[in-house]
Amino acid sequence: MIRLLAAALVVALAGLPLSVLPSLPLAWLTVPVLLLGLGGVAIRSVPLATSGAALALIEYTFTLVITGGRVDVLTATGFGAAVFFLLELVSFADRTHRATIGSAVLASQLRRWLGIAALGVAGTMLVTIGAETLRVALPGGTLPLVVILSALGALTALAGTVRLVSRPSSPSSASSRSR
Amino acid sequence: MTWRPTALNVSFLTFVGWALFLGVLTGRADIMVVAVPLVVALMIAGRPRRTPVFELAHEVSTDRVVEQDRVMVTVTLRASTAMPLLELFQPLPPLVTVERGRHHAFFTLRAGEERRWTFDLRCSGRQRLVLGGPHVRVWEPLGLAASETRHQTRATIAVYPRLTAVRRLPRPARTQTSVGNYVSPASGDGIEPREIRPFAPGDQIRHVNWRATLRLGKLHVTQHHPERNADVVIMVDTLSHVGPDGMTVVDAAVRGAGSLAAAYLARRDRVGLIEYGGVLRWVKPGSGRAQQERLLETLLRAAVVFTHVAKDLDLVPPRVLPAQALVIALTPLLDPRFVDALANLIGRGFDVIVVAISPIASARAATRSSLAADVAAGLWALERRAELDEFRRRGVTIAEWDGEGSLDAVFAGWRRPRVRQVIAG
Repeated sequence: MIRLLAAALVVALAGLPLSVLPSLPLAWLTVPVLLLGLGGVAIRSVPLATSGAALALIEYTFTLVITGGRVDVLTATGFGAAVFFLLELVSFADRTHRATIGSAVLASQLRRWLGIAALGVAGTMLVTIGAETLRVALPGGTLPLVVILSALGALTALAGTVRLVSRPSSPSSASSRSR
Repeated sequence: MTWRPTALNVSFLTFVGWALFLGVLTGRADIMVVAVPLVVALMIAGRPRRTPVFELAHEVSTDRVVEQDRVMVTVTLRASTAMPLLELFQPLPPLVTVERGRHHAFFTLRAGEERRWTFDLRCSGRQRLVLGGPHVRVWEPLGLAASETRHQTRATIAVYPRLTAVRRLPRPARTQTSVGNYVSPASGDGIEPREIRPFAPGDQIRHVNWRATLRLGKLHVTQHHPERNADVVIMVDTLSHVGPDGMTVVDAAVRGAGSLAAAYLARRDRVGLIEYGGVLRWVKPGSGRAQQERLLETLLRAAVVFTHVAKDLDLVPPRVLPAQALVIALTPLLDPRFVDALANLIGRGFDVIVVAISPIASARAATRSSLAADVAAGLWALERRAELDEFRRRGVTIAEWDGEGSLDAVFAGWRRPRVRQVIAG
């Protein structure tokens, strides 16, 4: 059931750009997205699912760049929430594989995931309002600021990834060993 | 318990990094917005958390079982603080499988809530099983951090070999002095008549045979054979290891030895044990339930200990290997050191019966089925038959056992000379 839901999310992520811009090159890009995403879901591999999600993001970016449409924050937030759900579901399916799951666990998890998604939407609204305020207050001066902040964010994310990967071990890898 | 980030953080950060990079590259704000839910999740998971407080009790239903029996494990959890996602994992020792339920579970507990988790284990091989406490891992609700510990309890379960009833036992050639079930060749109080002879001073009146007295006109008494017990020493060969765990020739020998010991003890015989292998262990002959416990405890530890040294049976004290004892050796007859030990015993005049356990079935169980394996097994069986015939020609009493069936079938066609015939001979 969990994996079916995750598979549906992969299909939605791969299909969203195609629904915006149906074209053959994008359709070809959908193939690796589906292969990686569905493969990750099938074998409960979070790295594979992440690769699929990253490819889906590239596909979505191509679509937005090619169409050149106006900024659609709502769809982008939905895309981000779908990626969040996908990674959480695959990770949860991997952890709970062949395990007894208490009656309250699924309900509790679902509540928390939905809560985070709601907070994500709220965060997006805050960022949008903040950006609008900045745009009005500093006309023409916001782009360098956004670029610098985003670049710093990307670098921070990269540094965090490197730090986590270079750790001697993590609980989830210990879990794999003990099984 | 300390909280540590999990590998899921890498996935989240990778995706966030991609979204920001592509956003900057294309100059589109909505690509960056994609990262917001993940950033929110990372920020929430990164908050400082309290150390979870809980009590855990780990119990097993019994501390003594026989092979293939079930043991119920009960883990009781009481949370003092709320635990949104708690993972429990019970590592399983070798030869133990889960029969009912799962040995891995996830629970959500509120503060003060108690939860009981049970599952059944099947112990498929003799061993002294040490079941450690479960691994406990408390997850942050989004799976981005976890803290783990291991509950430091140890439950020890003795998994004894499964015994089968043996009704047809080989009769010992010689008996001992205590009361038992074998008719002794000597004279004494008993049920089995021996001879009728003229009355002599000291004879008891109750032994007078009135019918013979009336017929012969002179007092005659009937003498009887007393019923006596015997000493049986079971010798287990632990020099050779053939077959997969739980189905080795040593396991078969241990099951056979346990069954024979129980059957002889039920007949009020004194039973001893010699484990002949890399380590020489013994239990001196004794009788009763306590002796059976001692034998089973020793058999529980029986294992192959590799050595090049041949153990000398002269090291075994005479009280462990009495001269009148019947020695039953359970062996696959694969190691020449054990064959030499048997020759030594026979040469010293012991009454020896060899139960030759076939290693072929055990070896087949450890290898994949193929035509070559079938041919090899067939050739091995022929070679083994020739070896056993050679032993028989040399006067060794051998019974063949496949190690799986009942020992009753092995001894069904068994012919041992009656005690009186042996002594007369």
